[in-house]
Amino acid sequence: MTVGLRLDEAAWGLLHQAIDLYQHDPRVVGQLRHQVARLEQPLRIAVAGPWRSGKSTILNALMGEEVAPVERADGVFTWYEDGAAPRATAYPAGQPPQELTVVKSATGLRVDLGWGAGDVRDIVVQWPTRALRQVTLIDTPPVTGSVEQGQAPVLERVLRDSDAVLYLTRDARDSDLRLLESGRDSAVGQAAPVNVIMVLSRADETGGGRIDGLLTARQLARRHYRDPRVSALSVNVVACSGMIGLAGRMLGESDFAALASLAQVPRAELDVHLISADRFLRGELPVRLETETRAALLDRLGVFGVRLAATLVRSGFDSRVKLSAELIRRSGLTELRESVTRCFIDRSDTLKARSALAAVESLLRAEPTRGSEELAGAVERILAGAHEFRELRLLVALRNARLGFDAESAAEAQRLIGGNGVGLAARLGVEHEATVQRLWDVAADAQWRWRDRAEDPLLPLAQRRGAQVVVRSCEGMIAELVAGGR
Amino acid sequence: MAGIWLDVLDDIARTCSAHGRGDLLQTVRQKRAQLLDPTLRVLVIGEPNQGKSQLINAIINAPACPVGDGRTTVLPTVVQHAEAASVAVAQAPPPAPGRPSGTAVAATVERTPLALNQVAESVAGMIGRRPGGGPAYVEIGIPRALLGAGLVLVDTPGTDEVTGIGGPASVAAPARADTVLLVTDSTRELSVAELNMLLHVMRSHPNVMVVQSKTDLVADWRTVAERNRQHLAEAGVPAALIPVSAALRLRAAAADDRGLNAESGFPALIARLQHDLAGKADQLARASVQTVARTVVEQLAAPLRAELATQEAEEQSGPISRLHAAQREVDELRRCSTRWQNTLSDEIADLLSDIEYDLRDRTRQILRTVDEAFDTADPLVAWDTFQDWLERSLVEAAEANHEWLIQRCDWIARRVAANFDRYGYDVLPPWSMTMPDDIGERVPELQLPTIDRFTTGQKLFTGMKGSYGGMLMFGLATTLAGMPMINPVSVGIGALFGGKSIRDESKQLLRRRQATVKAAIQRHVDDFFVRMIRDCRDAARQVQRMLRDHFTGLTEELQEAIVQSFRSAKQEADTDASLREQRQREIRLKMTRLAALYEQAQQLTGTRSAPLRLEPQA
Repeated sequence: MTVGLRLDEAAWGLLHQAIDLYQHDPRVVGQLRHQVARLEQPLRIAVAGPWRSGKSTILNALMGEEVAPVERADGVFTWYEDGAAPRATAYPAGQPPQELTVVKSATGLRVDLGWGAGDVRDIVVQWPTRALRQVTLIDTPPVTGSVEQGQAPVLERVLRDSDAVLYLTRDARDSDLRLLESGRDSAVGQAAPVNVIMVLSRADETGGGRIDGLLTARQLARRHYRDPRVSALSVNVVACSGMIGLAGRMLGESDFAALASLAQVPRAELDVHLISADRFLRGELPVRLETETRAALLDRLGVFGVRLAATLVRSGFDSRVKLSAELIRRSGLTELRESVTRCFIDRSDTLKARSALAAVESLLRAEPTRGSEELAGAVERILAGAHEFRELRLLVALRNARLGFDAESAAEAQRLIGGNGVGLAARLGVEHEATVQRLWDVAADAQWRWRDRAEDPLLPLAQRRGAQVVVRSCEGMIAELVAGGR
Repeated sequence: MAGIWLDVLDDIARTCSAHGRGDLLQTVRQKRAQLLDPTLRVLVIGEPNQGKSQLINAIINAPACPVGDGRTTVLPTVVQHAEAASVAVAQAPPPAPGRPSGTAVAATVERTPLALNQVAESVAGMIGRRPGGGPAYVEIGIPRALLGAGLVLVDTPGTDEVTGIGGPASVAAPARADTVLLVTDSTRELSVAELNMLLHVMRSHPNVMVVQSKTDLVADWRTVAERNRQHLAEAGVPAALIPVSAALRLRAAAADDRGLNAESGFPALIARLQHDLAGKADQLARASVQTVARTVVEQLAAPLRAELATQEAEEQSGPISRLHAAQREVDELRRCSTRWQNTLSDEIADLLSDIEYDLRDRTRQILRTVDEAFDTADPLVAWDTFQDWLERSLVEAAEANHEWLIQRCDWIARRVAANFDRYGYDVLPPWSMTMPDDIGERVPELQLPTIDRFTTGQKLFTGMKGSYGGMLMFGLATTLAGMPMINPVSVGIGALFGGKSIRDESKQLLRRRQATVKAAIQRHVDDFFVRMIRDCRDAARQVQRMLRDHFTGLTEELQEAIVQSFRSAKQEADTDASLREQRQREIRLKMTRLAALYEQAQQLTGTRSAPLRLEPQA
């Protein structure tokens, strides 16, 4: 989308305007320069959620290594950045940063805090991994729901310091929704719910550990996705079992061997041993399996995971690689990563610009000065005018079926405005290696059809407005093709 | 044994009605009915998705409550014994306006029977419920020996907030349950929300158990259970914790596996429930009555305590303080009356001396002028003019003096009235002195004093007497020169001498006349002064008397009013004090009775809970 005022440029301009406005205040200017710098840095994704919602597990699953959790005091944010060598640095309040000892273990790292972690607020871990190339992941302390007394302080910091949030919850209950709602009181926050993906974590526990629990969890996620209350708060809902996903990514040959030997036991017989963790650990298995191995399997996969893995091995996933891939697929981790890529990483410019707008807005609200009203007006103008935001708002509206488009055109509109991915091919719904000519044809065709719809006086106003946004997206694509073709 | 706690409960009910607390009475009656009912009502609460419905299914070994697949219990579900399996949605009528919802009688509940395969929809709140109706719940009847023994299980919608627990009228109210089970799953330790919920329920409910479900899912459930027990102990919740696994139990039932059943932990839970059921009429009831007594006594004592506190506060602001104010008024008035009397006498004394001095000054001035005038003038010539002038001057002086007197009197009146400022403004006497019209007439008539005139005969005689000596002296001298005794020289000399004598004599007479006139005028002015000063004194005295009378009257009036208010304040304070005394005695008596009632309830069970503070803070 290179046509018109680009959103990141607008945000950059806005930040510099704000720096001019507050140039007498070095502290504020420092904050704003930090925001400017953030525009160039990797996207920051925070993993937040209530107590024991599986934040660190999901984080490890996303990185593919057991890095989190760093053992720590309450209220510490742990930042995972890409780096040449494993390093961990603690930033205590009001003291110089402190290098921490990093011990590399077989599966990941252990950070030794070593000294009294009194008032450490941040620990930055640098870790060489591909997963961190484009994003910085943030492990956060539990969000405690004292919604009655305004915003929860942890959530407030999460929303301030990160560009996007994976909000983990076991069951998307009311208190979670209220908590998220309380975080949306600014104009930027209300403009479009673009920076939150809700994750039904610990999906393996759904249905009391039945073998189809993950499927059920996925259905639940879909149901929540259609719920207007949830869709007003999050851009997507994904069910994901961090435990199974992590186990899939870390599955070793010895683990596979153990699972394979389990799978040799006839199913009925094995089921008896797998009805509870205790039985599996202490019972007399027909195959030789050390207690330590069983404990390790349980620790890594859980009872449900062992059941699932044994079933999978039996039904043909008979190598470590196959099993590993299938576990990752079934855990929902693939879906989560796709969703993160599609909703966050592909839109990272939009999200970073959004963070900058939010920062400027909260600054203007906290420290109004002469001329700050004009700047607030500029923030609102960008919010209302930027095509990226209009697309996102339309996406939310399409999800709720409020507009009354029929299913087919709703799906097409969603695709064209980037609901399935922001690349040209994804938007136009053509194969990846399509020629420019073909892309052009499809885009032009879509543009004409949606223009007709936008100008059809018989349609309700909301639909025509929506169609206009789609037309604008099509025009953008055509402009991009022209620019690329030249 | 049932008799004892029943008596105490009836006592509590009587106390409630004596205190006019119909709401509490309602609760106590409900509790009484509930305790007399032989069934054990078990309420299952907890956060969503902890396996509450599954727990109930596992207890009775039947899929009574729908579970799984993200199904959420929306309506409370009552599972009880029935000869044949049945399902019904029960709904109370909408709360009638003007009537508290708690008074809805159970008999008016409307039941809609449903087919057995509609359980899931009904529990999810999707069918069988009329919109706009009152709170609804699902009743499931199922033929089971355990239920037949008198167990009733109530499943509730999951909530992680204290406010989410059913209200007093709801079928899911903890108050209507005999035993409360809080379900928490083994995948994590008890959360803060769950502990809060426990504390909330414990306040009004004696018999709470924590059930740790899903022990089959995790290997380290024993550690979790240990930590949970620790959390409970730290929070001061005396609830037993029972780890169970519904999955194992159901599986054991299907396979008829006793070992698995024992492993599931349910035998312990069911034994506990059966123990409660058997002991309901005795132990449980006593504990319940104790809790009820505690709640009721606390609720009844709270308003009494508050009343005592407000009464103490009122003493500072009530009739007593008005009495004190009146007392102060009386004192102030007394001081005021002394003050004004002093002011009046001082001012009048000053006035008199000032007026006298003034008049004296003015008359002296006049006399000085008179002296100067008659040093040269001959009274015979100037008298008439002079008399006019003198009369005018005296009248003027008298008028000026009087004028001043009037002003001073007015000023004095104001000065005295200033003492009464705090009682109002219009306390000046309704009087004003005026200049008397007859001042001119009061001045005595001045008569020309008898003065010697120099008559012609006298002049002749004086001249002759003077000329005689001269003529004789010079006649004798000239006789020596041979001239006769009477010759022109001696006659001339004689004439000269005669003339001088006449001049001297007339000058002397003039002096004498002047002196006479001056003396006469002085006497006259003195007379005038004395008369005028007497008039002034009279006037001043009169003013003084009048002012005194006026202000004395005013003071008396004020005093009467103030004393009146003082008396009424005193009376009021006296009655108020006695009333308050009486009310305090009443309250204390009630407090003592409540304490006795509480004590009685305490003795029902061996264990004592924390002593209750009834007395207000000293």
